[in-house]
Amino acid sequence: MNDEKKLAMLEELMELDEGTLKPETELADIDEYNSMAKLSLIVMMSDEFGKKLTNDQIKSFKTVHDIMDYMA
Amino acid sequence: MIHSQFNNIKIAGIATAVPVGREKIADKYGHVFGDEKVTKFSKTTGVIERHIAKKEQCSSDFAYIAAEKLLFEKGINRSEIGICIFVTQTPDYRIPATACVLHKRLGLSKDCICFDINLGCSGYVFGLETVSSLMQSSNVKYGLLLVGDTMTKMIAPNDASSVMLFGDSGSATLLEKADSAPAIKTAYRTDGEGFKAIIVPADAYRNMDAPEERTVWGDGNERSDYDLYMNGVEVFGFTVTEVPALINEFVEENQINKEEIDCYAFHQANCFILKQLVKKAKLDNDKMHISMDRYGNTSVTSIPLTLCDKYGDCSDGENKKIFSCGFGIGLSWGIAEFEVNANDIYPIIETDDYYKDGEVSRD
Repeated sequence: MNDEKKLAMLEELMELDEGTLKPETELADIDEYNSMAKLSLIVMMSDEFGKKLTNDQIKSFKTVHDIMDYMA
Repeated sequence: MIHSQFNNIKIAGIATAVPVGREKIADKYGHVFGDEKVTKFSKTTGVIERHIAKKEQCSSDFAYIAAEKLLFEKGINRSEIGICIFVTQTPDYRIPATACVLHKRLGLSKDCICFDINLGCSGYVFGLETVSSLMQSSNVKYGLLLVGDTMTKMIAPNDASSVMLFGDSGSATLLEKADSAPAIKTAYRTDGEGFKAIIVPADAYRNMDAPEERTVWGDGNERSDYDLYMNGVEVFGFTVTEVPALINEFVEENQINKEEIDCYAFHQANCFILKQLVKKAKLDNDKMHISMDRYGNTSVTSIPLTLCDKYGDCSDGENKKIFSCGFGIGLSWGIAEFEVNANDIYPIIETDDYYKDGEVSRD
């Protein structure tokens, strides 16, 4: 999956306009990256990528790129 | 997977009581957290309103009212009740066990086993296992499974993660020894690794020097160690992986035909979680009954309350096949599949009553 597709998925998940997210965007700077978005992220990783996402892994994410790497 | 089957225990009645006091979360919290945030919270969790106990009302008061209703309706001789278990996280006192207080109030015989179980969201199914096991191996004819929580009393007033979620209530289930009873099938798991995911860190004997003032925690909510802390992300991650896995194992082990299930009575954690469970465990969404829109997450009572909400006014005399599932604090999770006659499930009672003789004389 290419980076554009991953960014689009994350934008949809956080209900953001297309093109809002960049890989280098700090997660701490995104208001929409709240606890609900994190729950949706757990579901998306499981459904779309077959990956289990733990609370510790979520805590280790600092930038959008970190999440994209995990989506791999 | 720990699993059991009981063939001589019948679920003979279920009653539930809630406080009269009702609160729409939009009215109470719109100006505290902002209307948009509250609307979003309602949309995700499903909670629109819930019942809140008065300061004087304890979880045991609701369980007591429910038990009295059952004993009256079923015409049970109290001397034949040999087990009275109370599952709660919000007891009347630090000690003794609230089951003993209920034993007195209900006027039960001395020939009775009474104790409390400290569990929440999973507590109803664990309690069912405990009472059924004790009955199966003893000469007891009737057992009372009492449950209740007033979770709204242990939450910091500005904790947006929990303060709008919970509702207060209590419930009573009567179990009867009966030779030709439909099977009660159960399964359980526990993962103590997650004990900090839902916790009140102080107020018992571990962190006795914890400061009482509330500060802002990492999740942005203000609380102290004496308040409930729930790591929503961790609990959610656990639920959407472990619970469907147990359901699938249970269904396979017991050759459950999902077509025959009349109602999925699941712990009302939040609607988003329930939707995920429906999807992952491939359940029929139309059979998943929701009560938390009007009662909130009622902790240990959520399963019997959901049944009373669905079947309280139904008197078709038919046995309903119930698939119940509780999950949460511990972390612990369990399933109980059983049958109960719709006529034995009573409508939810609203009460302002509380025990007026709970103070201790200093003389």
